[in-house]
Amino acid sequence: MALLEINNIEKRFGGVVAVRNVNMIVNQGERIGLIGANGAGKTTLFAIIAGNQRPTSGTITFDGERISGRRPDAVSRRGVARTFQIVRPFGELSVMENLAIGAMFGARQERSIDEAEARASEILKDVGLTDRAADFASDLTLAGRKRLEVARALATEPKLLMLDEVLAGLTPSEINEAVAMIRDLQEKYKLTVIMVEHVLRAVMQLCERIVVLHHGEKIAEGSPEQVSSDPAVIEAYLGTSKSLGTSRS
Amino acid sequence: MIRGLDKITGTLLVALFALIVLWPTFASNYEIGVGFDTMRWGALALSWVVLSGMTGYFSFGHVVFFGLGAYIVAVTWLVLPWWGGVLLSGVGAGILAIMVGYPCLRVRGPYFVILTFGVAELVKFIVINIEAGLSMSGRMLLGGPSTITLYYSMGVLAVLAFILAFWVRQSRFGAGLRAIREDEDAAETLGIPVHRYKMTAFVLSAIIPGMVGGLFVIRGAFFEPPNVFDPRVSLTMIAMAVMGGSDDPRGTVVGVIFLALLSQYLWANFPQLYAIIVGLLLVIFVLAAPDGMWGRWQAAKRRSRSMQTQDS
Repeated sequence: MALLEINNIEKRFGGVVAVRNVNMIVNQGERIGLIGANGAGKTTLFAIIAGNQRPTSGTITFDGERISGRRPDAVSRRGVARTFQIVRPFGELSVMENLAIGAMFGARQERSIDEAEARASEILKDVGLTDRAADFASDLTLAGRKRLEVARALATEPKLLMLDEVLAGLTPSEINEAVAMIRDLQEKYKLTVIMVEHVLRAVMQLCERIVVLHHGEKIAEGSPEQVSSDPAVIEAYLGTSKSLGTSRS
Repeated sequence: MIRGLDKITGTLLVALFALIVLWPTFASNYEIGVGFDTMRWGALALSWVVLSGMTGYFSFGHVVFFGLGAYIVAVTWLVLPWWGGVLLSGVGAGILAIMVGYPCLRVRGPYFVILTFGVAELVKFIVINIEAGLSMSGRMLLGGPSTITLYYSMGVLAVLAFILAFWVRQSRFGAGLRAIREDEDAAETLGIPVHRYKMTAFVLSAIIPGMVGGLFVIRGAFFEPPNVFDPRVSLTMIAMAVMGGSDDPRGTVVGVIFLALLSQYLWANFPQLYAIIVGLLLVIFVLAAPDGMWGRWQAAKRRSRSMQTQDS
């Protein structure tokens, strides 16, 4: 069943076309990877889905309801959550408060603060931040703040979770941990996940389907194997090299 | 037990409340006046915190609500009973906040600071010109209530302002406001209706200052626009909130008492140094401890707690 339908979405900034005529369907429970070089329009597409930016034209339907053109808070209440590429923790609030705020708003709309904190505690356990609950969010390491970013989005009880480069800047062992964490969270909370990622190895491991953007256009879509052997993708990514798959082994 | 209120601060607050209630029974007339002024500043600073402490939208023009409240009481002095004028001041301040909030809350940071300051000056000069047009050089407000009545009325406003700020601070609404302060875009993406919340906070933070202005002008028995629209009123409430701590109304109370006592001492002993010393203190706090005395104390408590857990 289609959870998210993106129809002919286009976004222009003055004369620059950031996203050109993108169509995409995301089914319930899928893990989708969104890849592409810098400036391909991945983050812009996220921002349009989440309501942070209005599309120039086109429509987005989520869970049977049109969400394009709505404010981010309204989109969030319907069950869409996103993280930010450059993490945006509420720095002067505690880790616990960051998550409790997510639970109090978003799709969860928890009215009781105690209940919100109970949900926050559970998610903190899932992402391994329980020990840091009382610390200021700004005191976390980058890896910790990336986890917090995911956890806070998760606290809103989304159906669709959009992860914007949550692995970027992490060490290889941190990446392995984060990949395992995302997989566990997806199963436990029955999430549909779209992830923008430059760490291709992780995308190939995690995602069932990959969409490739290039200069704002969708140039390929399919399983990791299909996409990594697609000539258009290889050209867009590497120019001349033969295969993307080498980094996987 | 009320959430977020530990035994010590709870006890201190009850003691403070008892002091406010009993003060007139043993204080001199002059000291009752000091109490009235301290509570006036308390009501103003705590109201300011509801908007600026929680959302980070730093209002530099909160005197406008105070001044408008004073003006409403002055204009209705012979028409309404004094308390009717004071209540109307609250309503008027709330309506002004709705009118001003919509354009002002669209901008953030320094622009909001400048805009609120500008609006306060604008309203001041509008009132000055209206009064000049009516050939009024000030209005006498004769036959007001007794000092004790005014004292307790101000006490009610100060306590209400504290309850409001305290409720906001530990409510879901306040959590949304503090998220806006930290990162408005992230807050909106998490589902917080930022526009409605900011507007509500703005109106809530305006009503009590309006009524405080009304009581102030009754006590002075004389209305003069430059006096009640003085930008230093905004500055003083900000200084108190920042020095005490603007993220928590308990800290604000500490700041109000600290600066009110300091002002008394300085005015009595070094009147020529008053503004210099207060300004210097504000600079030091903004640079070294923007979270105020309360914030510093909380940080120290956190540090000692984490040291204990490391030791064990």
